[in-house]
Amino acid sequence: MSILEYNGGAVVAMKGKNCVAIASDKRFGIQAQTLSVNFEKVFEISPHLYVGLPGLATDTQTVYQRLKFRQNLYELKEGRSMSPKAFCAMLANMLYEKRFGPYFVEPVVAALDKNNEPFIVAMDLLGCMTTPDDFVVNGTCSRQLYGMCEVLWEPNLEPDDLFETISQALVNACDRDAVSGWGAVVYIIEKDKVTIKHVKTRMD
Amino acid sequence: MASNSFANIMELSGTDWLNAELSTGTTIMAAEYDGGVVIGSDSRTTTGAYIANRVTDKLTRVTDYIYCCRSGSAADTQAITDIVSYHLDFQKVEMNEEPLVETAAKIFQELIYNYRSSFTASIIVAGWDRRKGGQVYCVPLGGMCVREKVSIGGSGSSYIFGFVDSNYEENMDKEKCIKFVAKAISLAIDRDGSSGGVVRIGVIDGKSTQIERRIIQEEQFKLL
Amino acid sequence: MLSTTKKLENTGFSFDNCLRNRFLEKNGFISPKGKKTGTTIAGVIFKDGVVLGSDTRATDDTIVADKNCEKIHYLNKNMYCCGAGTAADTFQVTSMVSSNLELHRLNSGRPVPVIVACRMLKQMLFRYQGYVGAALILGGVDNTGSHLYCIYPHGSSDRLPYTTMGSGSLAAMAVFESKWKPDLSENEAKELVKDAIAAGIFNDLGSGSNVDICVIRKDSVEYIRPYECLNEKGIKRGNYKYKKGSTALLQSHTIALHLEEEIIQTINDGSSMDTS
Repeated sequence: MSILEYNGGAVVAMKGKNCVAIASDKRFGIQAQTLSVNFEKVFEISPHLYVGLPGLATDTQTVYQRLKFRQNLYELKEGRSMSPKAFCAMLANMLYEKRFGPYFVEPVVAALDKNNEPFIVAMDLLGCMTTPDDFVVNGTCSRQLYGMCEVLWEPNLEPDDLFETISQALVNACDRDAVSGWGAVVYIIEKDKVTIKHVKTRMD
Repeated sequence: MASNSFANIMELSGTDWLNAELSTGTTIMAAEYDGGVVIGSDSRTTTGAYIANRVTDKLTRVTDYIYCCRSGSAADTQAITDIVSYHLDFQKVEMNEEPLVETAAKIFQELIYNYRSSFTASIIVAGWDRRKGGQVYCVPLGGMCVREKVSIGGSGSSYIFGFVDSNYEENMDKEKCIKFVAKAISLAIDRDGSSGGVVRIGVIDGKSTQIERRIIQEEQFKLL
Repeated sequence: MLSTTKKLENTGFSFDNCLRNRFLEKNGFISPKGKKTGTTIAGVIFKDGVVLGSDTRATDDTIVADKNCEKIHYLNKNMYCCGAGTAADTFQVTSMVSSNLELHRLNSGRPVPVIVACRMLKQMLFRYQGYVGAALILGGVDNTGSHLYCIYPHGSSDRLPYTTMGSGSLAAMAVFESKWKPDLSENEAKELVKDAIAAGIFNDLGSGSNVDICVIRKDSVEYIRPYECLNEKGIKRGNYKYKKGSTALLQSHTIALHLEEEIIQTINDGSSMDTS
């Protein structure tokens, strides 16, 4: 078993028209045993910038805390908020520093940049960035998610349609994965608002 | 196998040579003659069964008058040669004279000896200096250093010991020595699978900062 | 407090997690490997410069992790570098060397010779004894002419007129060995590299998608991405869109964001700085 499957979990992010969405499941388990159904893997970094950290739960939390620490230092020093690009570079370098003893997380970043352009990035556990112009997935059911997204995603989705697309992709992918699911949360990030929706899913 | 990963498939099909270390399964040689030294080598670099480079130059410059023939791991021998070259360039500036071949051989020997557990490098150092003329030093795997009139190395050398022993003469003239070295390497290329390509020859006689180079292609082997 | 600020200044790799990770591995939890670029990359020298080429597939085991990734990395104005192997390594190694080359260029005030980049790369890779898994093709033009180097993960390098690397290198090399000739024109070189990469894309499972090409000449660089789309995605005939309201909700709330306008004012025009 891969160490990334120890706790289970999946994150997906998609680009829409002037909006971007990121979603994760809510399960926290130890192998087959589910311990919690409100363990979120997506964190707010700034109002328009969210990061998902699927993988080993201990590293999900450690990496998030270290990111927050560095981000706070950056904002104190610079007196401005971090751009998505700078944030990703920081995260990538943080992961690559541990090249020979990595954190077991595969981050997904979703944001609107300062021109309100959608921005999504996926990384492997060594911090190698992937920046496609449709969607990114990571986590235990990434194979299922690739299939779902490849079929469902289309260009220029409005926020409402983007929500349906990303939720259905995640929910149906998780249904074919034993170690993720048990609820899901979706963040739709727009210029003037962020909508957080908790989705009803199978609980088995 | 249920989880027959891509990496496994790649390994099983023997194409994981990307991660394999590059090595010069080689034939190298150097011989003293009347006015200097002749050095020679084949031109093949392999990773497993794949020929990564068929026109390799294993006759590597250390100083203008000192060259080395590299065999073993390509990365190790290149790194060592770069270090020795750096030391000798520095010494040349400090002493204001050309470094001795013996000095070069000694630095090679020390590096290979000190890192004998991690390096796979065996090198022939050849060159010309004012004090002792043309010289050949052999620095094999464990970090020994010994002067020889003629020296051969690399996987192909085992095929030509007899030839070299019976055909080497002291104080040959240049052309005869070139022919002798070229013939020996061509014989090794014929028999050794890890050696191949062309025969590269270099002549160091201290008369010019640029060594005289020759290339002998396979078609010409039978004429030697 | 002092210790935390000090920690940030540490440079180089950190091995903090190694002990834990080894423990996990000993207990049967397999450590995942990073993303690979099971790649085809190639380069040739032509009459007045160098052409570099690559495919655009990144793989994670058997999954195509990226269908259009960038494998030709910027090193400096006059040189670029194709990377194969562990994706994170090729990216980090080239970007670190790129920074050092820029410092070198500013320090010396001249275009950096390509051999300098080659040395920096091979010395860095040699230091890590093959554990940083980057296989590179370095191409560039400097005051001494056009150069093409092939750098292996263990830190050895070859100087060659044409070369290929990555899992598709055998297919690509087959094309070079049959069609390469000395003193190619720019167009011939571009087409030759394209054919070599295409051979990799179609014959090697680790390579795929498009052909990227980068032409480096004496005073100019042309980065063509994509040079050719050999694998267009099919057109979706059906519509699989979910109707609004398909997804059952448990709860929903909205955070309204108050937008702050950012206005950038140029104080002087940049040409004259007041130094009085």
